[in-house]
Amino acid sequence: MHNWLSQDIVEVLESVWANEERGSSAVEEISQEAKTEVTEDLLAECEREGYLTRNGGGEIRLTALGRQTAGEIIRRHRLAERLVVDVLGMTLEESEADACEFEHFLAQGVTSAICTLLGHPRFCPHNHPIPEGECCRQIEAQVNSLVASIDRLEVGEEAKVAYVSASNFPRIRKLSSFGITPGVPIKVKQKFPSFVIQCDETQIALENDIARDIYVWRKSNDNQ
Amino acid sequence: MSTIVQIEPKKAPIPKDKIPRLLLVGNPNVGKSVIFGYLTGKYVTVSNYPGTTVEVSRGKMKYGGQEWEVVDTPGVNSLAPQSDDERVTRDMLLDAEPDVIVQVADAKNLRRTLLVTTQLAELKIPMVLVLNMMDEARHRGIEIDSKAIGELFGIPVVTAVATEGEGLYSIFKSIVHAKVPNDPLEVQRNRLLTNEDFLHALKSKTDKPLPLQLAVEWLQTQDSGFRRGAELWLKQVADGELANDAATRTRIRNCAARLEEARNAFLEKSVNQYKKVIPSVFRESSGTGLKIGLVCLLAGLLLFGYTEIGRLIGLPTPYGWLNSLMDRSVIPGALSFFQNIHLGWLGSLLFGKLADDGSTYETGLLYPAITQFLVLIAPIMFPLAFVLRRSERFAERLGHWTRDWRTGAPLMIVILLLMYEFVGVIGAGTLVDALENNVFNVLLTPNLQKLIPAGIFYDFFVGEYGLVSVGLTYALAIVLPIVMTFFIAFGLLEDSGYLPRLAILSDRVFRVMGLNGKAVLPMVLGLGCDTMATMTTRILETKKERLIATILLALGVPCSAQLGVILAISGSLSGWAMLTVFGVVLSQMFLVGYLSSKIVKGKRGDFIFEIPPIRVPVFKNVWTKTRYRMKWYLKEALPLFLLGTLILFVLDRVKVPTPWGRLSGLDMINNSLAPLVTGVLELPEKTAQVLVLGFLRRDYGAAGLYDMVGQGLLTPVQIVVSLIVLTLFIPCVANFFMIVREQGTKKALIILAFITPFAIAVGGVVNLVLRVLKINF
Repeated sequence: MHNWLSQDIVEVLESVWANEERGSSAVEEISQEAKTEVTEDLLAECEREGYLTRNGGGEIRLTALGRQTAGEIIRRHRLAERLVVDVLGMTLEESEADACEFEHFLAQGVTSAICTLLGHPRFCPHNHPIPEGECCRQIEAQVNSLVASIDRLEVGEEAKVAYVSASNFPRIRKLSSFGITPGVPIKVKQKFPSFVIQCDETQIALENDIARDIYVWRKSNDNQ
Repeated sequence: MSTIVQIEPKKAPIPKDKIPRLLLVGNPNVGKSVIFGYLTGKYVTVSNYPGTTVEVSRGKMKYGGQEWEVVDTPGVNSLAPQSDDERVTRDMLLDAEPDVIVQVADAKNLRRTLLVTTQLAELKIPMVLVLNMMDEARHRGIEIDSKAIGELFGIPVVTAVATEGEGLYSIFKSIVHAKVPNDPLEVQRNRLLTNEDFLHALKSKTDKPLPLQLAVEWLQTQDSGFRRGAELWLKQVADGELANDAATRTRIRNCAARLEEARNAFLEKSVNQYKKVIPSVFRESSGTGLKIGLVCLLAGLLLFGYTEIGRLIGLPTPYGWLNSLMDRSVIPGALSFFQNIHLGWLGSLLFGKLADDGSTYETGLLYPAITQFLVLIAPIMFPLAFVLRRSERFAERLGHWTRDWRTGAPLMIVILLLMYEFVGVIGAGTLVDALENNVFNVLLTPNLQKLIPAGIFYDFFVGEYGLVSVGLTYALAIVLPIVMTFFIAFGLLEDSGYLPRLAILSDRVFRVMGLNGKAVLPMVLGLGCDTMATMTTRILETKKERLIATILLALGVPCSAQLGVILAISGSLSGWAMLTVFGVVLSQMFLVGYLSSKIVKGKRGDFIFEIPPIRVPVFKNVWTKTRYRMKWYLKEALPLFLLGTLILFVLDRVKVPTPWGRLSGLDMINNSLAPLVTGVLELPEKTAQVLVLGFLRRDYGAAGLYDMVGQGLLTPVQIVVSLIVLTLFIPCVANFFMIVREQGTKKALIILAFITPFAIAVGGVVNLVLRVLKINF
């Protein structure tokens, strides 16, 4: 529906969203963040289209329409990053440019297919949250996932760690000191009352919240 | 209160006439303590690392005419600290100036081993790598190319099976060949770090290269206090400052991520190169012995179940048979043997005296403890240890059964019952009776009473509130045996690898209370001693969890001494009455826990930890720990017992004129509490005194209550109400001071101000409900 949006407006919406995540709504920071020049005309246009509201103090906020539109753009962008990093195996720096390209190709239907393929990831490679889509709320779509978080695995299932997607760095560091890092094979030993996974020769107990942060390549689809 | 140990710059190199120091470092559960025990022999001291609860063992070893100091550090998964344990080890590596590091590793976990090795390599200290538990690796068909690993790092690599003594002597021999390890990541790291301008500041003032990757990782830790320490350290060893702004933090973060990536790649490569897995079936030792062991274990479990149920419903049990056999032939024989060699007193100390009704012998140190042990504990423990040693497959199965809730829950009940038999029956029952009736109430107090002439000294030492007749007797005869048996049981569970499984089973329960499964450790330890458990709340990650756990310990977890007395009182109560007591206390814990999880600000810590395999505990290790914990208890608790008695004595003696006549301090406190106690709780006035005693030591109060019950002063409902109030009531003085130390005076006073009225209110409500429903038990 917003496919006809101009690239400039897309950039503005993206940076307003990103700034809101950081708890800021100052116009200067939005200009810094955006990859396009944020002119007064551009902002006025966004406001006219009903995406933004501005107040006198130089604060910019998304409207409901703006939030929905920006959410979809951000979702596509971050899913594209995941796709580039996880499936194409590029590094974080390389991913940025390519993700931008991909982002614009992903149409609505393809977005949910990619999301499903990647196991409905919750964070992008930079650990920013990916807004939920309709497909994330439908669990049955899981069967086709190439990548899945380990709480979606069956007891006894073997898989290979794709990435750890935690919003806090200490959690990633902790998991890695237990040996849970990309490329390591794991096996789910138990799901209730706590998660137990076998990693190398070590058994590790986790709560569900952490299990949801560990994304793996499922064995049956493992073409790596 | 911060537990961070200040990171100080390296001191001047130690003079060579100093005894060289050897540090044992490694992941948790890799057998460091066993190797430590072998290297050092028997001269070992265990102590808490300053400012923490982390226990550190030190000892001396001699090899080739050279004496060494050996330090056993707490297990670490990474030198970038995430827990108290890891902090202590890191601090010791930096500050204790080790001359040699011996890394002990689990051979089958090569990846985690090499993670620590690469981190140690950055420190540029001579080291040796010990690949331990080679047997477990072999059982799983894992082959490690230890020679190639040795060449890669340029250090001696020794393979060992420490529990069997295999390879231990080679460790001795290798120590003198310890080398500063090659750092395989150095080149890559330097390349990665050259462009990071923030690290320009970090040029080492000394000749030693700085552990840069570690520095970056330390700057990444969650704990802000630790980060500040790391910054300070960097500032002191290196020239220049490190800005603490968002941009620098982002750079450090990116830097850490890339270094981590590089190390992961290295580890991945090394594991593929040096570790071969040959799929093989489990190699099991001979089948017949194993089968016999399993049958014995099953029989032991059946015997245990039958005896527990049989005693409950009054069936004849093997326990009864064995006891009557002992009463008829064994004990009289042993007693007359001791009579003949003129050691009759020793005989009756060990085997007891004939009871008044002449049916059985009682109050011996060994009897009936020995039959209790033989019938209830030994038939399970010994076959279990036997089978576990024989069969790795069984150990793995048991490891599975104990963490799966369907099998884990019944097994947990069996284990808790076994613990109750050991601590509650043998410790709190038999041993307490024996010490009280043989030593304190028969030998010590009466003889002292004869020696000391009536007067103030008599009262001070052996009177109603005498230091010996009350303080010392309670501390040594009632509390000590319970604490000792509890710590033995706890140590066995700790070393067997069972406790983490308990945490898994209970995680969901604790989550209701804003905690996670790790909280089960302080809670179980609280059943031994709440004061000590309050200190161990430090193993919990967040402030919120530590505060909630502290409140719950203070409110509802009865310590072993108190539990012992409660269980003794339970003899005069019906099952329903006891169920009411425990039900009310538990429900209040949940309620208060749930509410505090909503009120207390902050986050719950991540629940993630390694589950060690089930192993047979090495009794020597358990005993060392128990001895250390008992010493701690005596040092901390005994003075408080005596102080408590002293306060009572003074309160009882000092009489002040008042409008109601001359009253002692005790009378006044009792009088002011009396309206509450008699009015709200409808208990006899004397119970007020028990509550006051209860604050001086909770178990001490319980013991007072026990006396009152013994004298028949209370109805069953009154017993139930007073047990509930006493259990919920303010923690003992020692516990209170520990809360002050851990949480600060303000929070401690708030906890006190909440719990006191709360306990009385709950008691009042229970009393009211029981009266209204006309339940008399």
